[in-house]
Amino acid sequence: MPLDTSTYNLALLRVDGRRWNELRQQKGQLGVQPSADGSAYLEMGNTKIQCIITGPNERDTKSTSSASTAPTSHGLGATVAVSIMIAPFATVDRKRRGRNDKRLQEMQTTIASGLAATVQGQSYGPRSTIHISLNVLSQDGSLLACLINAASLALVDAGVPMTDYLVACTAGSTSSYAAADEEADPLLDLNTQEEQELPFLTLATLGATDKVVAMVCESRVQLTRLEGMMATAADGCKGVRDFLDGVVRDKGELMVQEGAIGRGEVVSSMDLD
Amino acid sequence: MPITILQPSLAPPAKLRDADSDSDSEGGADLEGDIAMGRPAKRARTQDSSIMTPGEIITDDPQWMRGHGTYVIPGASSNTILSSVAGTLAKTNKLLSVRPLRARYTPEIGDLVVGRIVEVQAKRWRVDVGGTLLAQLPLSAINLPGGIQRRRTETDELQIRTFFSEGELLVAEVQQLYNDGAAVLHTRSLKYGKLRNGVFMSVTGTGGGGGVVRARRQAFTLDISGTDEVSGSEKIDVLLGVNGYIWISKHIEGEGAAAETSGPGITRIEESVGLNVYSSQNDIIPVDTMREIARVRGVVTALVENGLRVDEEMVTKGYAEAVEMAKEERDSADTLWLGGERGKRLANALVGR
Repeated sequence: MPLDTSTYNLALLRVDGRRWNELRQQKGQLGVQPSADGSAYLEMGNTKIQCIITGPNERDTKSTSSASTAPTSHGLGATVAVSIMIAPFATVDRKRRGRNDKRLQEMQTTIASGLAATVQGQSYGPRSTIHISLNVLSQDGSLLACLINAASLALVDAGVPMTDYLVACTAGSTSSYAAADEEADPLLDLNTQEEQELPFLTLATLGATDKVVAMVCESRVQLTRLEGMMATAADGCKGVRDFLDGVVRDKGELMVQEGAIGRGEVVSSMDLD
Repeated sequence: MPITILQPSLAPPAKLRDADSDSDSEGGADLEGDIAMGRPAKRARTQDSSIMTPGEIITDDPQWMRGHGTYVIPGASSNTILSSVAGTLAKTNKLLSVRPLRARYTPEIGDLVVGRIVEVQAKRWRVDVGGTLLAQLPLSAINLPGGIQRRRTETDELQIRTFFSEGELLVAEVQQLYNDGAAVLHTRSLKYGKLRNGVFMSVTGTGGGGGVVRARRQAFTLDISGTDEVSGSEKIDVLLGVNGYIWISKHIEGEGAAAETSGPGITRIEESVGLNVYSSQNDIIPVDTMREIARVRGVVTALVENGLRVDEEMVTKGYAEAVEMAKEERDSADTLWLGGERGKRLANALVGR
């Protein structure tokens, strides 16, 4: 169903009532699967992801042959293995995907190499593997971005050292490629409806910095619009990082309150003689 | 046993975090004032929080040294120390480290661990101890049956599976660490060796918000003769592996992994290391003992589920409390199950809340 984008120019409101630079509502939870080494649940709008982490451990990777792997620390650190499972009920039309769906494999590779650049795996040694299993429970746009964010959150829960959160966000442009509209506004965090009609890209950055770790753009768009889209996406990444950070802090504070972990100390230069 | 149907209780409220979905914006279509609402609260929270998260700057004072869970940006001239995990800050003199909220077990020399053999090689076993890498147990680091002291020959290598084979459980001590963090184990003490007559369970490792903590004593014996169902004096051995693997078994006088106190010295080792130390055959265990083993297991599960630490004191107190609870509910069919509401009651009684 094509999206009627003409209304956007009248009210500057998108189909779901957001403005151009608003993220969808996000919900996040850590440690949803206590028996796993790390786990997280993340919602960005109606895209819902559960991520389970096993490892780092030293087990043969034969059982997860469909996973995409990438080594950390230039081959000196642990390997990151990512596998994505999309539930048959995740989309409106119920369909089953094969294990070697090429689109899925490409997403797996992108996530694996992105995370491998962020994880500090040298303390684990090259023989260990971090298995990241991502389950898509509901799919409504920005899938790759949401998968990256969920994996990032679960890695923090697993206690794997990382340079920063790897956060991702999508950005689009208000008119199609054919319209050749140089003045088109960028849009942040697209849903399925918008993704189907408008050109968009997914951008992953290292935390709140402007360091781009991964960028995926599968649609045709004029080069002049690209910069605006990237800037918007990078801005969205900052918002996502704030959110993920808040989830982790809330969980940590709860654990401190309950006495599960000791209170942390505070660095101040006063303490030094 | 009759089937009881428990009244369903409400699931605990999921701690989902909602966020105002506003992103930074200068101008655009945002209305005046509506982005400012979430802000002040967010700032205040970050300031008084003692939790460090990945990428957070801990200090840029050059006097501090960086420890575990921290990093410096390579190549940067500044001495900024950043956190690489989510956790609490710990200071040791001038060393700064971040203890993660949760992490896998990292072996340290001297740790008492429970492990499972996953692979048998020519001169060594590979043991799963719940760490990031498999630990190894060399053939030369075990006691031979009968306690004979001699070099390990090819005959021993050919018979390696008579000592330990795949899937078997053992208790050992970390003897040595490699650079990559892999551990080398040894069982050269009467306290260590193959495990039988009991039940294995695993809880999340160190820093797991609860879980097993490194303590003075990891192995101890519980007296179960206090429960009036048990006839005679029976005891249970509890082995709390530092790696979060736990073994609960029937106590056998004079042997067993938990025989911590004044065992025979190294000189008399020949007499005491019996020929059956590598037996995989369970002894006959009375039903009463089995039930109490299951109760101890329930106590540990309840401790973990309620985020309490698992150590000798908590398990001993928890077991006594569970026995009391069982006495009160004599008429109820199942007193062993300590999950859900009952587990919470047990935990509350233990911490006195």
